[in-house]
Amino acid sequence: MNKRALLLLMPALILSGIVFLLPFLWLFVTSFRVQGEGSLLMAEGFSAANYARLVSDTYFAEVFFRTIWMSAAATAISLVIALPMARQIAVSAGRAKGLLLALILVPLVSGALLPTLGMLHLLGPLGVINSILKDIGLITRSVKFLGTVPGVIIGLVQAFLPLMLLPLVNALSRLPKDVEAAAETLGAPTFIVWRRVILPLIAPGIIAGSVLVFCASLTSFVTPQILGQGKIATFGTMAYQQASLVLDWPFASAIAVVMLLILALGLAIGSFAAKLLARRRA
Amino acid sequence: MLKKLTTALLAGAIGLPAAGAFAADDYSGHTLVVGVWGGDIERLLRENVAEPIEEETGASVEFVLGGTGDRMARIYAEKDNPTMDVAFLNMYEAPQALSDGIVLPPDPETDMYKAIWDGMNNGCYAMSLVGLGIAYNKNIVSEAPEWEDMWDPEYNGMIAVAQYPGSEGDGLIGVAARLAGADEHDPDAAFEKLQGLKPIAMTYTNLDEIFAMMDAGEVAMAPMISGYVLSALKEHPDIGFSFPSDPGPVLVRDMLCLVKDSPEPELAKMFAEKALGVANQTDYAEQIFFGPTNSMVELSEEASADVIDTPEEVESLVQLDWPYVIEQRSDWTQRWNKELLEQ
Repeated sequence: MNKRALLLLMPALILSGIVFLLPFLWLFVTSFRVQGEGSLLMAEGFSAANYARLVSDTYFAEVFFRTIWMSAAATAISLVIALPMARQIAVSAGRAKGLLLALILVPLVSGALLPTLGMLHLLGPLGVINSILKDIGLITRSVKFLGTVPGVIIGLVQAFLPLMLLPLVNALSRLPKDVEAAAETLGAPTFIVWRRVILPLIAPGIIAGSVLVFCASLTSFVTPQILGQGKIATFGTMAYQQASLVLDWPFASAIAVVMLLILALGLAIGSFAAKLLARRRA
Repeated sequence: MLKKLTTALLAGAIGLPAAGAFAADDYSGHTLVVGVWGGDIERLLRENVAEPIEEETGASVEFVLGGTGDRMARIYAEKDNPTMDVAFLNMYEAPQALSDGIVLPPDPETDMYKAIWDGMNNGCYAMSLVGLGIAYNKNIVSEAPEWEDMWDPEYNGMIAVAQYPGSEGDGLIGVAARLAGADEHDPDAAFEKLQGLKPIAMTYTNLDEIFAMMDAGEVAMAPMISGYVLSALKEHPDIGFSFPSDPGPVLVRDMLCLVKDSPEPELAKMFAEKALGVANQTDYAEQIFFGPTNSMVELSEEASADVIDTPEEVESLVQLDWPYVIEQRSDWTQRWNKELLEQ
């Protein structure tokens, strides 16, 4: 890297160092501390007690796997929903495409809280969905969406669908228009066209979108906290509970470190898959 | 007669809160930072305490709103260089903060200390008294319920609880243990009893959501803290609040803490004197149903009926062994999640 490039990168590197790396290092160090007997202050010395606690209690393993599979489910559902949407956006032209892309971006820029609060009113016992079901006589008592795993997954899909859509729209827009037509002329039905032509060609977009949605779901706090109503423990809500309610900051740090390691692993797998794909094509 | 005279003199000392002592001091350019809950509590503290201090001293008072978790995290993180002067904490957090050297011990020589009922300044200054009782839907539960009624099969699946850890959950564990013939020192008995409340209808985090569910008939009962509920009842005529008798309500107390080595100790003390003073504590009781800790406060019969305002009433309440409860919280959080909420 030449000096000019380094100079241009310097503000970002300094900012990243101060607001991410240093706090992360502090978090990492804190995760090896423990609170003194009968005190909330950290005792002298370092210990792996917090990590031992995480691996020795099956409760944490359950939360760990629940978080992973909920994130995987949200990713898979997002992919299924996003594919036809992305296709429609990609083939749209002019203003329609711009408008659709803007609509995707709105939830992304409004943050997780507002859309989740909106979902609260949609999925709540007195919300829109339950009211409609009651009005048409299908139910007499509200169906529970809030405080359930399906409710949280719906929220995660709603919150992170744009992260899947954008890479897919990008990949589908780059797809040569005549490829699909060529396959069809050779007699391939739509399903085969998708399976053997379109999906392999947009695989990098699928990988990028999946990694983004999976990682965002994995570390999500607002959505499981609000839509889970304190009844669906995930790594994010557990870290919050330990930090803000139990006030066991070292243990909360250990949970956060494990969560970040899983996140790094997810990104590494995504990056490896993308490279593998690129190598195969080459 | 002598008692009346002493009371009057003390009332004067507390009721005219040190205006003379501080009026001469100019604190222009100084900022007092107070960490407290939002809503009506903040409103009353702003009207009765912050605005008069700002007028008298020229200082400005900044409120940092949030839960006690945020405040505890901040005052502990800033132990060597505090930026918050006054922190309102829960009764179980105050002794912990004192023993960790984060807050100043309450000063027995001060008038505000003396005005508070004996034995209540535990860790910090006792600010207000409330009790954990039962909020209930009057159309579903016809009479003011006792604790045991929450276990009635008729209401199965219609009981809501607050998020745990928190005072409400700790109180419910204490009550469940007592109903099982034990106390909070026997968590196995408590959690076994709590199994009978499953499935929990919802875990609430704020009054609006729980009251909406109660109004809709989805929740029959929920253990809740008296002050907030009572002040919200006028907008919810179908919701009632019961102080059970067997066992009684669980005592919950808010504490006012002066942060050790804070930047504005004088202003903090002035704030504490006004907050604990007769005027503010009377408004606390009459407007938001938080019982006064100041023995000089005299409430109307009507206001007194809805708040805990005497040491005798406090005696009738269930008092948990809070240091023990705090020690157990981390384990109990897991048991609560697992055994009650079935996570």
